[in-house]
Amino acid sequence: MSFSVLVCDDSNLARKQVLRSLPESLSADAKIATNGVEALKILRGQSIDVLFLDLTMPEIDGLGVLQGIQKLGLSPKIFVISADIQPEMQNKVLELGAKAFIRKPVKAEVLNQHLQEHGLI
Amino acid sequence: MTHFNLNEDQQDCLQELINVAMGQASDQLARYLDTFVYLKVPSIEQVSSSQISDTLKVEESAAAVVSQGFFGYEGIRGEALLVYQPKDSDRLADLLGYEPDELSVEEQIIDLSSILTTTFLNVFASQIDNQMSYSAPRFLSSAASNFSDHIEQHTFNWDLALKVKITYQVTDYSFNCDMILLIPESAIVNITQVIDRILEEF
Repeated sequence: MSFSVLVCDDSNLARKQVLRSLPESLSADAKIATNGVEALKILRGQSIDVLFLDLTMPEIDGLGVLQGIQKLGLSPKIFVISADIQPEMQNKVLELGAKAFIRKPVKAEVLNQHLQEHGLI
Repeated sequence: MTHFNLNEDQQDCLQELINVAMGQASDQLARYLDTFVYLKVPSIEQVSSSQISDTLKVEESAAAVVSQGFFGYEGIRGEALLVYQPKDSDRLADLLGYEPDELSVEEQIIDLSSILTTTFLNVFASQIDNQMSYSAPRFLSSAASNFSDHIEQHTFNWDLALKVKITYQVTDYSFNCDMILLIPESAIVNITQVIDRILEEF
């Protein structure tokens, strides 16, 4: 079974760090968004199974994307990958439906552990 | 948009290093004040020596500025400024909740600034395989000339600098603190070399 994947981060380096940490089955056809507006546009237009989401971004930030996803009634599996590690922020994103909070810079083994837990690899 | 001939990838990498550092600094601030800190994308711009004074004139209305120099290996150095607006310095005193005679507001602001500056820069330095040492933080009062003179003293021999501005917005108390980092061109050249090593891995 293959999953459609979206990686949303305003940093090119951060997107590459995520893509390189993913198994090929998930990274090969992954789509990319550079801010929350782009992410929501993609999410509205096509079915996305797995979303890797940054928080601190221009236009619409990660919290805005999480709220947008709720409003749209979508249910991708969301993994927030952010440097904003405040406990309150971690709780907020989990309340807004994220499966996990992963701190930046992302480590492949940590990311893959979360993917395994959620049956994605 | 490029700075010091930083190409787009170098600029992007620098911004990501700053992101990780400010995330941990805001976490420390949030724990210290037992509140939540809202973060925005930092601004990074190149300024000339005359612009350093000019751009900082905006900050002259500040109630308090805490300035701290930092020094790493390989010529990496700069000046960190923590800028508090007048209305905020009163709020800050409430927020910190020390007994009035325990520590002065000035001492509290210095403490807080030092936590932010050293957390940010230690995390930043560790990402570029460096290690920072710091000068003692200095409290600059609201006397505008005091502030400008100080900046000129510490940056007058810089032709160009990179100015990084990060706003820590403490939402519960509508309290803002701006961290301004001024990094001279020579130090940026060194940072760029490290950035290139990071980029090579990708």
